Amino acid sequence: MSHLLDRLNFLESKDLETFSDGFGKATRESRDWEDTYRNRWRHDKVVRSTHGVNCTGSCSWKIYVKSGIVTWETQQTDYPRTRADLPNHEPRGCARGASYSWYLYSANRVKNPLVRGRLMKVWRKMRETMDPIAAWTKLQADPILRASYVETRGKGGFVRATWDEATEITAAANAYTAKTYGPDRVFGFSPIPAMSMVSYAAGSRYLSLMGGVCMSFYDWYCDLPPASPMTWGEQTDVPESADWYNSGYLLLWGSNVPQTRTPDAHFYTEARYKGTKSAVICPDYSEAAKFGDVWLNAKQGTDAALAMAFGHVILREFHLDRQAEYFEEYTRKYSDFPMLVKLEKQNGKLVPGRFLRADDLDGKLGENNNPEWKTIAYDEISKGLVAPNGSVGYRWGEDGEWNLEEKANAAETRLKMSFVLEEDHDDVVGVDFPYFGGEAYGQFQTDADHPDVLTRNIPVKKVKTTEGEIRVATVFDLFCANYGLDRGLGGDWVTSDYADEMPGTPAWAEKITGVPADKIAHVAREFADNAEKTKGKSMIIIGAAMNHWFHMDMNYRGVINMLVMCGCVGQSGGGWAHYVGQEKLRPQTGWQPLAFALDWNRPPRHMNSTSAWYAHTDQWRYETLKADEILSPTAPEGDWDISLIDYNIRAERMGWLPSAPQLKTNPLQVAKDAKAAGKEIPAYVVENLKSGDLEMACEDPDDPANWPRNLFVWRSNLLGSSGKGHEYFLKHLLGTDHGVMGKDLGEDGGQLPKEAKWHPDAPRGKLDLLVTIDFRMSTTAVYSDIVLPTASWYEKDDMNTSDMHPFIHPLQAAVDPAYESKSDWEIFKSLAKKFQEITPGYLEKETDIVALPILHDTPAEIAQDQVKDWKKGECDLIPGKTAPAYVAVERDYTAIYDRFTALGPLLDKLGNGGKGIGWNTEEEIDNLGALNGVQLDGAAAGRPKIESAIDACEVILMLAPETNGNVAVKAWEALEKATGREHAHLAEGEHGNKIRFHDIAAQPRKIISSPTWSGIESDKVSYNAGYTNVHELIPWRTLTGRQQLYQDHLWMLAFGEGFMSYRPPVDLKTITKEVQDDGDNLVLNFITPHQKWGIHSTYTDNLLMLTLNRGGPVVWISEVDAKSAGIVDNDWIEVYNTNGALTARAVVSQRIKEGTTFMYHAQEKIVNTPGSEKTGHRGGIHNSVTRAVLKPTHMIGGYAQQSYGFNYYGTVGSNRDEFVVVRKMKKVDWLDREESWKAPAEEAAQ
Amino acid sequence: MAQPVTDRTLKAFSLILSYPTCELQHAMPEIGAVLASDMRLTAAARRALRPLVEELSGRDIYELEEQFVLLFDRSRTLSLNLFEHVYGESRDRGGAMVSLVETYREGGFDPVTSELPDHLPVLLEFLATRSPEVARETLADAAHIFEALNARLARRESPYYAVFASLLQLVGAKADREAVAEMLALPDDDPTDLEALDEVWEESEVLFGPDPNAGCPQAREMLAQMDLPVNSAPHAAE
Repeated sequence: MSHLLDRLNFLESKDLETFSDGFGKATRESRDWEDTYRNRWRHDKVVRSTHGVNCTGSCSWKIYVKSGIVTWETQQTDYPRTRADLPNHEPRGCARGASYSWYLYSANRVKNPLVRGRLMKVWRKMRETMDPIAAWTKLQADPILRASYVETRGKGGFVRATWDEATEITAAANAYTAKTYGPDRVFGFSPIPAMSMVSYAAGSRYLSLMGGVCMSFYDWYCDLPPASPMTWGEQTDVPESADWYNSGYLLLWGSNVPQTRTPDAHFYTEARYKGTKSAVICPDYSEAAKFGDVWLNAKQGTDAALAMAFGHVILREFHLDRQAEYFEEYTRKYSDFPMLVKLEKQNGKLVPGRFLRADDLDGKLGENNNPEWKTIAYDEISKGLVAPNGSVGYRWGEDGEWNLEEKANAAETRLKMSFVLEEDHDDVVGVDFPYFGGEAYGQFQTDADHPDVLTRNIPVKKVKTTEGEIRVATVFDLFCANYGLDRGLGGDWVTSDYADEMPGTPAWAEKITGVPADKIAHVAREFADNAEKTKGKSMIIIGAAMNHWFHMDMNYRGVINMLVMCGCVGQSGGGWAHYVGQEKLRPQTGWQPLAFALDWNRPPRHMNSTSAWYAHTDQWRYETLKADEILSPTAPEGDWDISLIDYNIRAERMGWLPSAPQLKTNPLQVAKDAKAAGKEIPAYVVENLKSGDLEMACEDPDDPANWPRNLFVWRSNLLGSSGKGHEYFLKHLLGTDHGVMGKDLGEDGGQLPKEAKWHPDAPRGKLDLLVTIDFRMSTTAVYSDIVLPTASWYEKDDMNTSDMHPFIHPLQAAVDPAYESKSDWEIFKSLAKKFQEITPGYLEKETDIVALPILHDTPAEIAQDQVKDWKKGECDLIPGKTAPAYVAVERDYTAIYDRFTALGPLLDKLGNGGKGIGWNTEEEIDNLGALNGVQLDGAAAGRPKIESAIDACEVILMLAPETNGNVAVKAWEALEKATGREHAHLAEGEHGNKIRFHDIAAQPRKIISSPTWSGIESDKVSYNAGYTNVHELIPWRTLTGRQQLYQDHLWMLAFGEGFMSYRPPVDLKTITKEVQDDGDNLVLNFITPHQKWGIHSTYTDNLLMLTLNRGGPVVWISEVDAKSAGIVDNDWIEVYNTNGALTARAVVSQRIKEGTTFMYHAQEKIVNTPGSEKTGHRGGIHNSVTRAVLKPTHMIGGYAQQSYGFNYYGTVGSNRDEFVVVRKMKKVDWLDREESWKAPAEEAAQ
Repeated sequence: MAQPVTDRTLKAFSLILSYPTCELQHAMPEIGAVLASDMRLTAAARRALRPLVEELSGRDIYELEEQFVLLFDRSRTLSLNLFEHVYGESRDRGGAMVSLVETYREGGFDPVTSELPDHLPVLLEFLATRSPEVARETLADAAHIFEALNARLARRESPYYAVFASLLQLVGAKADREAVAEMLALPDDDPTDLEALDEVWEESEVLFGPDPNAGCPQAREMLAQMDLPVNSAPHAAE
């Protein structure tokens, strides 16, 4: 039978079969094309991470991974809701973060461990016959071999190494240094732990186990505002950005929120929709200026004058002519306004002196515990003097009265703020105030109409003291006089007329700042009016710009004064919002044991970087600022005529500031010698310091015994970004080509330091080894001897917190680290392993001696109510009291790795804590053992494991009150003991709330309220600093226990900063006749703000971002200034002074105020930077024309809130007072001849 | 069981472009012989490879390594990661790398290196196992990159240029002229020629679509108005 008739010859049925009742059908068409669409957005997994550069954003991102490769990322939108009335947090993110991801696969990525070729060659040769430590010893002993790699730093010449070799060289160098010079010659620099806290902790844990030095960053970056510890006893605490929305008046002062805080800026715009008014203060027409209802373009560096005039108006209209009830009540309870100040006789005149204290009075008001640390006020109820609760004297040695209840000696009080009324004062006397307005130079307006001392009339009470009858005044009365306010007491230098050009008035400020007086009065009035009506909801968002001037304290204290006068601090929607550089490490007390190995050894070695770099990069040898230029005309008699480094040496000697290195002799050796002499270690050190047989290293920074020998830089671009005095780093610390053009004090015939030993020839190349750990070839990496490739933000497990929002956020390894890279945790773990492997037989169990400065928030902080130097015979050397404490620490150099990877037993014994309170944490350690498992063998057998970065995260989360409710309750209970008040309700119901790493991986989690911070987390209020001080009556951690607007330390008074006042920028004299070429006439003030194309979430070598700008370094100048020097937009220009030179493109813009030039912070010299005609070397970075200059008032220690704390107090690296010459370049030379790698070939040929 | 290498020349280039090691130095005579006997290359091309072969076998290993790091690890414009030249830091690079990995897998191989899939020696090794047609076609896609690297290395007087010249010969086809020109326009051709330098860094006009004024009729009037600057440029005003 034929099917011919049934078979189709020319057609084929399209449908094969149908199914699902005809809704589906099979076809013959290929459906492959659909895969194109399916694959386009196909991914294997989505992982949550963020960008941990130095960004406060802490924005949640979804990272998409396909076949082990990151393919794209998008913003997450699952933040927990916070409070009913608030706008959402998300989406968070910015263009810089969004363009970050391709660093993973960028050509700029460091792919393998790199070692300087010359070093590698010698090393391998020596290793053929020697063990690692012997090889390093031999290499260091040979000056020619050492110089062969030291002098080529920054000139290329890297070869790849294996991890084994790179860690071996590094560990050998560390061991050699510890044994030869002392472990305190091994330095490590890494900033901002909050950004990736485990990565930070990895390095600091390794260093701390060894006895190495962890260097501070917040003060060095000059982002630490010393005004904050001075006023509040707190490093920096600020409101979360959501709280902007609660504000009624937002003053943006030098902060460029839309540009540099992009993910949070929406709260600023949303607040304006709600009706919040905003004033913006900045010299240039910034992005923020566009948001302002009013823009005050104050001349750069004169902000304190503006703040003073604001304060003048607020005091006049809200405190004097009319007393706003809320302001008065607030300042009585929460500020030092009612405290009494002794008026001291000096050359026959009266000046404000020390706070009156219980110790000054006969019978000490019955206060036998710390009477010299209890300040005194006049009580209206008892009509007599009282020592109010809350001063620092109540904090230590007794319990229950360290609070802000209006009580003294258990009785109710009402403290008197002023003796201005006839019936209240015994007398009206003239008191001297220093005035610095006449000291301005250059383009800054000098006020020649007023003398440098202004005597003003003050109402006083006479008080009988142990020294006889003296006069005292309230802080408030002195404070008003300082603002130039006439209170009807007669006398000079005060006024009641805003138009009078008296220091303090709007008219006076107009002359200095250029802001019209009526605008000043208007903004001040609105700011205070809003605060009065809303009970403190006026806020000042402040940028680091104002903090980068030498006299930053005056700017900041001016601002803080306004906020305190108006009762804004501690109120939601009000206060001081300084979002700079610190980026709140929320689970701080959980992190510290991990980071500083407090579970194994205490104390760790901490160093304030500004002082260290100033000394070790020899910037002090070029110091142009003399103490008498900044000394007050009212300074007491004293030995003030010394160099700035001399002040630092005295501060170290008196135990105020830390030292690194500490002693000239290796501390391991000192411990051996003490044992040999049969003496206790502290006693032995004291005896030999006194006899001079032991010397402090700070007294001779250039002696080879006192050089830092090894330096680790990780998570940082020290040389390309934060290194003030970049060229001095290159010249002295690194010993390579540099651009320093000035002469040192010896060559220049300047006044040499008295305390620091002077060597006619400065050393070059102090470092034996510079190791940088980074994922990109940064400027610092280029100058290093060893570069270790690390994981980037999508390749490691870590945690990130911010001051801008209350969530704790993970970084996660979406993919394995690319190429040969490893996470920071794994890198330092492998270093520890190598160290443990090679050290036995060379270093064993050793006793180390750690010099510990007098620390804030410890009982020692009330060490020195008088300034006395043991070396001058003014007092005995008492460790921990008049000098650093010398603490013996037992180290086991054969167990560094075992200890690194396990939680040590010291926490069980000593507990955990922070900021002056402590608690038992044994329960948490048991839980960690159960969670992470315990080590089965080795030196840490039985202890909880910390093998992986996630284990490390769990340690932090378990130990911190912010992430473990059980600990929060314990912490609040510990605080209750000191304050005598109930606080545990703040963590009520949180007992069982324990946040784990996997919880935050699922969703960012809000932290739990803890006494570590002064704000609370609740569903009622946003996080705001000072909240618990105001609402829980917990004292500020200051001398008076209140917000302290008067500073009475001897050095504060000597340098004229008892009260805030306007101090013009200082003259750094860096444009000398020798350096300035003929015809180069354009001299500008050099400002380095944060930019739009790099900073915070990515770096300035990101091509996507560079493409949006000019492709390389740029410097902004005004049209007028550009024209005067014949510069047009996009010209190549050179910027120089004695510190060095840099090259960049000019951006000529109307935005810039005449007289200034902007160079955005941290533009890399590795991208598109030609040679400098001035130095003959490649143009520098923004810090090539700067130099760090120390301020003695930042060295104060042993004095309540003015005591040292790591990243809390200390010298800061200011840089805004610098002036530069700007000129058009004649010839652009790219210096791209391949000298560096041809050189070895030429050598070989010879 | 790995498939055998069928094209030893491509494998030789894969080796030569890898980080120099002592092992490579010892193998250089054999590698040199392979290259010298490949008749697909012209005599001139084979001659041009000789200095590189000699350098790799004879020069101090540390100098070779320093040179390699400087050229191929540190210089973006000489990156051996091909997609660096195609996608740079664009996010399209991820997708492209994924499909390359999948190509390797389809070919029966799993990458076991820490190098990314677009690393040229990885690709060359893979192609050394493919048929000549596949190898040629794949390499032809990258011809403009080879041409640019050839020119850039020649400009630096680096003997490595010869590898890329040879690869171009193996491809046979001419590279896309425009693409080459575009790539070569990017780097610093003549550092002393200031005008050329300025051109390199001149900001290009922002274009929306192929022709902003023709694309969308509704926007034409508005766009035309935007062409007229409100304020003329500062230097033009003088």
